[in-house]
Amino acid sequence: MNELLPWLRLIMKRRGRLAAGAALMALTVIAGLGLLALSGWFITASAAAGLLMAAGVRVAFDVYVPGGGIRFFALTRTLARYGERVYNHNTVLTLLADLRIRLFRGLASRPAASHASRRGSDWLSRLTSDLDNLDTLYLRLMAPTGLALLLSGGLVAMVAWVYSGLVALAAGLMLGAALVVATFVVYHQTATLSRRRVGKLERVRGLSIEHLEAQAELKAAGTDKTNQMRLLDLAENLSGDQAKMDQRIGWCGSGSSLLMHTAAVASLWFGLTLVESGQVSGPIVAALPLALLGLNELYSVLPDTFGRLGGTISSATRLNRDMKGSPDEGLTGQYGSKPQAAIKWQNASFGYPGLPPIITNWSFHVHTAERVGIVGRSGTGKSSLADMAAGLVQPTSGHCWLGGKPGEQPHWQAWLEHVSYLTQTTRLLEDTLRNNLLIGAPEATDAELWHVLEAVCLTELVLTLPQKLDTWLGAYGRQVSGGEARRIALARVLVKPAKLVILDEPFTGLDSHTRDRVRTRISRRLEGKTLVAFAHSTEALPTVDKMIEI
Amino acid sequence: MGTLAGLLTIVQMGSLAYIIHAAIVLERPVDQLTGWFGLLLLALALRAVSQGVQSRFMAHGSRTVRDNARRQLLAAWHKAGPLRLLDESAATLSREWLDQVEALHGYFARYLPQIQLAVLIPLAILVTVIGLDWLAALFLLVAAPLIPLFMALVGMGAESLQRRHFQTMGRLSGQFLDRVRGLTTLQLFNQTGPAADILQARSDDFRRITMKTLRVAFLSSAVLEFFASVSIAVIAMYIGFGLLGYIDFGPASELTLFSGLFILLLAPEFFQPLRQLAQHYHDRAAALGAAELIVMRLSDSEPTRPQTENTAHEEAIASPDVIALNHAGVIFSDGRVGLNDVSMTIDKGERLALTGPSGGGKSTLLHLLAGFMPATSGSVAVFGRRPGDQIIGWLGQSPYIAHGTWKDQLRLTAPHASTGEMKEALAFVGLTGTLASRPQGLDSPISEAGIGLSGGQARRLSLARLFLSPAELILMDEPTAGLDADTEKLLLASLKTFADQGRTLVFATHHESLLALAERKITLRAGRCVHE
Repeated sequence: MNELLPWLRLIMKRRGRLAAGAALMALTVIAGLGLLALSGWFITASAAAGLLMAAGVRVAFDVYVPGGGIRFFALTRTLARYGERVYNHNTVLTLLADLRIRLFRGLASRPAASHASRRGSDWLSRLTSDLDNLDTLYLRLMAPTGLALLLSGGLVAMVAWVYSGLVALAAGLMLGAALVVATFVVYHQTATLSRRRVGKLERVRGLSIEHLEAQAELKAAGTDKTNQMRLLDLAENLSGDQAKMDQRIGWCGSGSSLLMHTAAVASLWFGLTLVESGQVSGPIVAALPLALLGLNELYSVLPDTFGRLGGTISSATRLNRDMKGSPDEGLTGQYGSKPQAAIKWQNASFGYPGLPPIITNWSFHVHTAERVGIVGRSGTGKSSLADMAAGLVQPTSGHCWLGGKPGEQPHWQAWLEHVSYLTQTTRLLEDTLRNNLLIGAPEATDAELWHVLEAVCLTELVLTLPQKLDTWLGAYGRQVSGGEARRIALARVLVKPAKLVILDEPFTGLDSHTRDRVRTRISRRLEGKTLVAFAHSTEALPTVDKMIEI
Repeated sequence: MGTLAGLLTIVQMGSLAYIIHAAIVLERPVDQLTGWFGLLLLALALRAVSQGVQSRFMAHGSRTVRDNARRQLLAAWHKAGPLRLLDESAATLSREWLDQVEALHGYFARYLPQIQLAVLIPLAILVTVIGLDWLAALFLLVAAPLIPLFMALVGMGAESLQRRHFQTMGRLSGQFLDRVRGLTTLQLFNQTGPAADILQARSDDFRRITMKTLRVAFLSSAVLEFFASVSIAVIAMYIGFGLLGYIDFGPASELTLFSGLFILLLAPEFFQPLRQLAQHYHDRAAALGAAELIVMRLSDSEPTRPQTENTAHEEAIASPDVIALNHAGVIFSDGRVGLNDVSMTIDKGERLALTGPSGGGKSTLLHLLAGFMPATSGSVAVFGRRPGDQIIGWLGQSPYIAHGTWKDQLRLTAPHASTGEMKEALAFVGLTGTLASRPQGLDSPISEAGIGLSGGQARRLSLARLFLSPAELILMDEPTAGLDADTEKLLLASLKTFADQGRTLVFATHHESLLALAERKITLRAGRCVHE
């Protein structure tokens, strides 16, 4: 349950909205309850009065007050119901946006590269379904449970006042039991299944994405049918679990409803004994069971929600874990003065836990305004060195001083202000070409964007696009070829006015002709800046002053 | 079962009304009513049981439906082929397959059974009420048919809104995921703050659109609520006045507390199934929205091959030992020309290089030969069969590396390979050393995005897949892109091995040493063969 706390706190920030929504919900239920109870009282009372009148007794029976009350409840209920649904769904959507933004900011506060090992395609799509699980917390769980407790308590108090404490105790016990069955018992019965279900769902989701992304390999090898069968088996297992859960929820729901109705019957029984002894009037005894029956409306939504609570909790657990990431050890604050565009590695080693180290005892110094090329075979840790230079990862031992002054270890975000880094993998956003470039320099003018496109030899291509800079780069940016995407990413890095530029395999996917043209043009843009470029061979490097091999 | 539960409700309400009537009007002592209390409790218990059994049936019914829908979607993916699947992000498709199919649950488990209940139970209640007081029954009768009418009117608008809602939701979560996926990029440029603002703004837009849907959709339940509440109010007043003797026409004078209370108790139950139907109406709208997307996907995946089927087949029988393209052309759905009237033959065992500028049609030709996409004109036959009907070795620009162990990687395309065969294949591609450094050998995990494996090593691993494959035809798209000198040498050596084994090699490349390996070069420009 503790896992839910941070999210509950976030939800409670909208306290005003939540309270208003709950009040509307309460008004709806009370109006329904009142309508039935008052009608029952009215009929019974008029029957008693009718009998007396038929016997010739003159009785004053006011029909207008209860009549008006009945009409009032009927109208209130309709309006309150409509208002409640509209208002509360607006609340739910607001909360959903809150949750998403909170999660995004949480994830963004750590370098994403540092917890890359835990990420995968399944991780990403899982986020959405985990968030969807949390958004029902308020409307389905908090509000109805709270109201059920409140209204049941209110009714029991009324019973105690009108009848006797004993009747109230009996009714209260039975209502309490109904509430427990609809909440805790359901939760207990489904928690394991529901937690397991979320885990299985995650696995099936991962496999289905794998099945899609590996489609080319699978189809070529003729193994897509077997892969498909495996996927179907898992999905069927999943829906089997779902069916089992639905059944258990169904049984608990009917059990809870049985207990609640029994409470109504019991209160009638005790009530009638009190009528016999003349302590209470008949019509009131008729009204009470009807009011209890009206509670059914609240109780009946509970089993479904508590059936999913197990899954909701494990969703929250995973989201909390995702947002944690690795701690920013020793990295605090800003630079005292403007840092130099220089890097110094000193006996730095790096490796992932459980794997042999990628870099051992690496020492090297990149001076300000120097252009350095670092060449190495694959697997020699070039990308890890690049990540280190950008401050995204820390050496597992030794040092990597950023900004020239040994001893100064600023926050990674402060260092990134001064660095422009082209990572080995090309990642374009699903957005327009313009917005993809503006990430590098939000203030850049169109002229500057065209200028940088010229530097990566993309001007001709973009001019042929009907929407020019406003062309949308589709899912995964796949409407552009690999080489084009690489050059867009390069342009984005070049447009950023940073003094240190890190390029990891800048020319992947470019044919030799284009590569030579781009090399010449970008070297002009890079003049006066510090450049650290990594590549697998010398011809894949931009123009540099100094080259080393690892 | 639902009907049984409904009938038991009538019994329950009847005995409840009778107990109150007997105690208050007939002034019977409570002890004499024990039998009636027993009946009441029995009805309650039986009702609970039948509700439980009902939920069991519903769960199973919907399970079958969902399993079927998933199976059909998978078949559709299979038909569509890898290239068309890439038009959509894998996350979107997988969401459709898992979550949208899940949305069908409500429809089949709740809405459909409820339709029957919404007819049967009110009918049974109506019959009971007619027996008690025909005038009260008339009130119910007048109110009831109006409800579905209004709901249908309101629902019509809601449905198209709901569909749009589904699309917006898909796009919104797509954008959220895209930003999370590109988080490193955004961080590198200190753009996470603005990106969060954009997400916030788009979520707000989404909320506004959705609220428009819901405001209309909820009208239908408000109408129902209105009729239900007003009917209860009217009936309560009618019965009250009747009991007081103020109404002296019709059956009112015969009303007793029993019949009056019974009618009052039944009135909400009369509307209850309808009310639930209205609640589940959203399930219906959601399911229809989802179903529509699913059906769209199913029909969308029908391969677009207009007239070539027959000729392709005849060609196939005609030439069993060569790959033959006869005036083959590919036009993409957006009108771009991928290939334009290409005719050529590739002999078994040949090494063919495809060159030309990017966008010239090299990849399209490879996809065509692999059977990932159909020719929109002309015909293609691979060793006497339709492309895609045989096993092919495929090495793309970015080979797929799954989230799993080394074994999983190789089993992806060679499910029956033995450990020995796998080790042998890894030895061919020079990964024995790397493997030896992993504590669990073949069972060591390789995670996605290259952690634990460099780009060159990943390429070697995908090359090992080819060593495990019996494919006669190997297709490669820029196999040397981004490779270091060592891996490149290894790749060339492997290709020579494949050629010696008599396999046919077709590769798109600009690389000098690869071109030297080829027996023949074809240049493709703007979808046409320029020279051979």
